[in-house]
Parts: sequence; C-alpha cells; structure tokens
Amino acid sequence: MTVLILTSAEDVTADMVVDRLAAMDVQVLRVDPAGFPQQVTLTARYASGTLTGRVTAGHRTADLREIRSIWVRRPGAPGSGGQVQPGWVAVESDHAWYGTLRALPGVRWMNHPEATAACRYKMRQLVLAESAGFTVPATVFTTVPADARGFADDHGPLVCKSVSGRAPNDPPLALPTTPVPGDADFAPVAAAPTCLQTRIDKQADVRVTVVGSDIFCARTDDAATDRAGHREVDWRYADPRSVRWRATHVPSHIRPKIDAFMNATGLAYGAFDFAVAEDGTWYFLECNTSGQFGFIELATGLPVSQSIADWLAAG
Amino acid sequence: MQPFALTYARPPIPEPETPYAYDPERQLNVLADGSVAVRDRAVLLACGATTSTAGSKTHFDD
Repeated sequence: MTVLILTSAEDVTADMVVDRLAAMDVQVLRVDPAGFPQQVTLTARYASGTLTGRVTAGHRTADLREIRSIWVRRPGAPGSGGQVQPGWVAVESDHAWYGTLRALPGVRWMNHPEATAACRYKMRQLVLAESAGFTVPATVFTTVPADARGFADDHGPLVCKSVSGRAPNDPPLALPTTPVPGDADFAPVAAAPTCLQTRIDKQADVRVTVVGSDIFCARTDDAATDRAGHREVDWRYADPRSVRWRATHVPSHIRPKIDAFMNATGLAYGAFDFAVAEDGTWYFLECNTSGQFGFIELATGLPVSQSIADWLAAG
Repeated sequence: MQPFALTYARPPIPEPETPYAYDPERQLNVLADGSVAVRDRAVLLACGATTSTAGSKTHFDD
C-alpha cells in the first residue's frame, strides 16, 4: 500500500506524520500538486474497465492501484507553473490530477475534496454546526451599513472577522478577529462584504482536533495578549508566550455534537475552535478542515500526528 | 472607500525563518547536520512553523 500525501515541501507539520509513517514502514509518496506537470508526472489509463497508471515525483513512483489513502494537507494548485495559456493548463491539470485521484476505488481521504468543499463557506458551516447541536454566535454578512448598525444594536458588542478566512494579499495584511467599537461607522461595509459576530465574553479558548474517531482537546484559560501586554481576542495573533495550551477532556455533551458535525460533513479530520463563555457555554467558532495541529502536539503532548499516521496506514 | 474589515487589518505575521530544508529523498525537512527537523522539539518551537498561522500566506485554514 501507499499513502499519498499532498502538501508543500515547507509544510513541516506534515513531516510529523511522514516521519511516523516511515517508522511504521509504510510506503509514502509526498508530492505537491503545484509541481504537476513540471516536477510531478501522472499517467492514468482507463481501459477494459480498469484504471491503472502511476504518479511520479523525482525517482519515487506510486502505482495508482497501490494508493490506499490520500492526505490532503496543504497542497498547491495543480498546474501552477504553466507558461503558455496558464489558466487553461491549470484547469486541465486540476481535472487530470483530482479527477484521477477521485476515481480511484477504495481510497480513504483525509479529507475528501467534497467534504472540504462542504465546510468551505463560513455561513454554511455555522448552519451545519447549529444543526449538529452546537451553540453558534449570532453572525451577519452584510454590505448594507444600516443593517450592520441594526445588528450591532441587537447583538452587540461585536467582533469583525474575515468572511472567507483569507487575509488580503495586495499588499499582504493580517486580519485577526477584532472587537468593533460600539460607535463604529459602518458606512465602509458597502465596500466589501463584512462579517460581524457577537463577541463572546470568554473564560477559555478550546481547540478540538478530530482524527477519525480520535478526539484531542486542548484548552487555554489564559488572557491572550500582544507583545505589549494588551488583550488580544484572537489567540492566533497573540504573543505565543501568553497562550499556554493544556490537554483536557471534551465534555460529554459536546462529543455527540462533534460526531454529528463530522458525519454531516463527511470530514475525517477537523480542527474545531470554540470559545467558552463565562457561563460555561461552548460557542462553536469554526472548523478548520486542514487546521494546524503541530502547535497543540508540541504544547500538550497529545499524539495527533501518530493518530493521523495510524488512520492513513489503516487504509 | 476602504472595506470595513480592513479597519482592523495589521501588518502580516512574517513566515518563520526555518533552519531546515526539504530533502526530497527522505520526503522530510532536515537540519544542516542531516537530522530530521521534526525530531528536534526545540527547533520547532523556536521557529514557530507549526503554529496556527504558519503558512497562512498561502493557506487560509488555520
């Protein structure tokens, strides 16, 4: 069997799993689809009802029939290096690459592209989360200033976050979840869709990492701060020294909701973020389908990478 | 008019400088002495390459 890992070379978090798979004597082919077709090659032949072929990167080759599991970690887009008609080459490459991999029978994915797509959009994710039983902060997307003001009056105080989770890149900027002042001028929401959400007065942040049926829970009760000591709502952008994660258990009433969400989406892996309110309520914030786990494992010792390796090897 | 959300934008967090490089033969990042980078916890903690925002320039999933 071969485990096919799709990620970039610099993804050292993936190394944590690759190293464990090597120790388990599991055959691995690690490729970045961004290198297809320049550095990575593919032949897929469908004839007489049988799909055969191979993926090759350098001197390593995986027979398509030997691929038993695929880990979609942090891959680049196939066909990124096209020089002539680059847009068309990218589309052709995407269809050749993912079309072939999706056609392989009996392969388990972490995560399947369809499952990832189901979770891609924030509003849909929130609706799925509420359906799974989670408590979700009131949220609005709007381009209408008066509606933003009305939402603030009804559901404030608020935070502002990216609708897509992406940060601007021209020029590159960071966009942490940030408190919105009560007297904010909402006129600029007309310039781009804006996501506003009720701010949770939280006692803790929780990251729950789900790998198949394994659940790893880490919690920080620290008040995250920036390097100047100012309170930071978004722990991702805080001074790491101010955020100390510790391993803990998932409350019994949360576990079935996580299972329901994973089942509804078809995800095999998810990194959930929760805010725990002062009254103890767990508010679902998001589920990252390729969320980082290395920092949790390093801080808490929770064996996430081994769990991923075991899941992939069981394909 | 600047979009509302950009009121709260900040300079990006620089991608961490890493003391290792990818070795395609081993399919792993290795340190200058050839050892596997992820086996060195201190290196990983120091460079912050496994944090939630690492790689966020190219991947939006934290």
